[in-house]
Amino acid sequence: MQTIYHSLLLFLNQFLHLSEDEFTILQKRTAVKHFNKKENLIEPGETDKHLYFTGRGLIREYFIRGKKQVTTDIITEGTITGSISSFLTGEPSHYCLQAMEPVTVLAISRIDLEELYSSDRKWERLGRVLTAHFLLQQEQHILDNIRFSVRERFVHFAEKHRDLLQRVPQKYLASYLNIEPETFSRLKHLLKKNKSLL
Amino acid sequence: MKKGMADMDPAALGYVQKYFEQFLPLSMDELKQLLTYCEIRQFPKKKIILQEGETDNYLNIVVSGLMRKFIRIKKTEQTLQLATEGHIINSEISFLKQVPSVLLLQTLEPTTLISLSYTKMMDALDHYPPGERLGRQILSRMYVKKDERRFARASLNVRERFLHYLEGHPHMLQRVPQKYLASYLNIKPETFSRLKHLVKTGKKSL
Repeated sequence: MQTIYHSLLLFLNQFLHLSEDEFTILQKRTAVKHFNKKENLIEPGETDKHLYFTGRGLIREYFIRGKKQVTTDIITEGTITGSISSFLTGEPSHYCLQAMEPVTVLAISRIDLEELYSSDRKWERLGRVLTAHFLLQQEQHILDNIRFSVRERFVHFAEKHRDLLQRVPQKYLASYLNIEPETFSRLKHLLKKNKSLL
Repeated sequence: MKKGMADMDPAALGYVQKYFEQFLPLSMDELKQLLTYCEIRQFPKKKIILQEGETDNYLNIVVSGLMRKFIRIKKTEQTLQLATEGHIINSEISFLKQVPSVLLLQTLEPTTLISLSYTKMMDALDHYPPGERLGRQILSRMYVKKDERRFARASLNVRERFLHYLEGHPHMLQRVPQKYLASYLNIKPETFSRLKHLVKTGKKSL
């Protein structure tokens, strides 16, 4: 269990340096949680009262439209997730978070975070830089979807996350990248022939 | 055009104080201190205030007027945000990471902004006591608004998007040129024209 804390520290260090003592304070506020494959971390309509740091396994964010599931995010190890809007506003979540593999996370509750924020300006700062991180990630995804063609989106994703092409069912990847499943299948030849991607 | 904010009259100060309450209650002293970091900027209509390739130096709150944020893709434009009184607007990635912007900002009406420069923001985060909390609350609001738009775009069909938006923002049909509204809602201009009868005749919407 040492490793999940270590990866959390590495993740947070990108934003802000935490001393050993500070990290211990944070660590005490977190709880390890396990989810089985296909188990939901959060259901649509539920209010998300936690943020999760993913130590192991993949998580899929989706919502339901009619009879279809629309995948809006695929969350890998070593990052923070949650139904962020629901967490921030205290309102029911539009999205569902589902474990795609056996998942281990560190969870921190909104109450614990609020207490940390009030205890020291350092935690306020961490909260602010993480919120900026969420905003930037979301904006980047929106812009990528608008700016890039189907082929470009596929190639960018494949270059960055080659491993996910094996780990994630194709229908979810296609939905996430906003590419028709048939087109997605056709684009896969770009990888097989080992052509230069762009 | 730039103006200091020290000489703001008490009524205006009260108004601004009430505005910030949605993020964080500030005492009058805290508010005045906050305003020393800010500046008022005024622009005529149709003015591009941020070009692509420029680094966005400001976080803006619209005091009066109307702005849009858009991106040029080949020969087309896609409108990503329309901001009126009380809304927050900037090129988020460019401002927060201090990198060249791929987005443009333009006024559609004569517009007055309360603006915070990047340097002043960093200064306030270090020296203005409520700064961190206020910053987090403003970023949270920006996130939630963006997520609402993203969700509406992905979960509603063309007709639903049209009605959902105009029910929440009925006055925008008068204020915003139709091509920008159509682009913002990701609706073809011809379709947008056809959908307008739904609001004009007062037919029951959804």
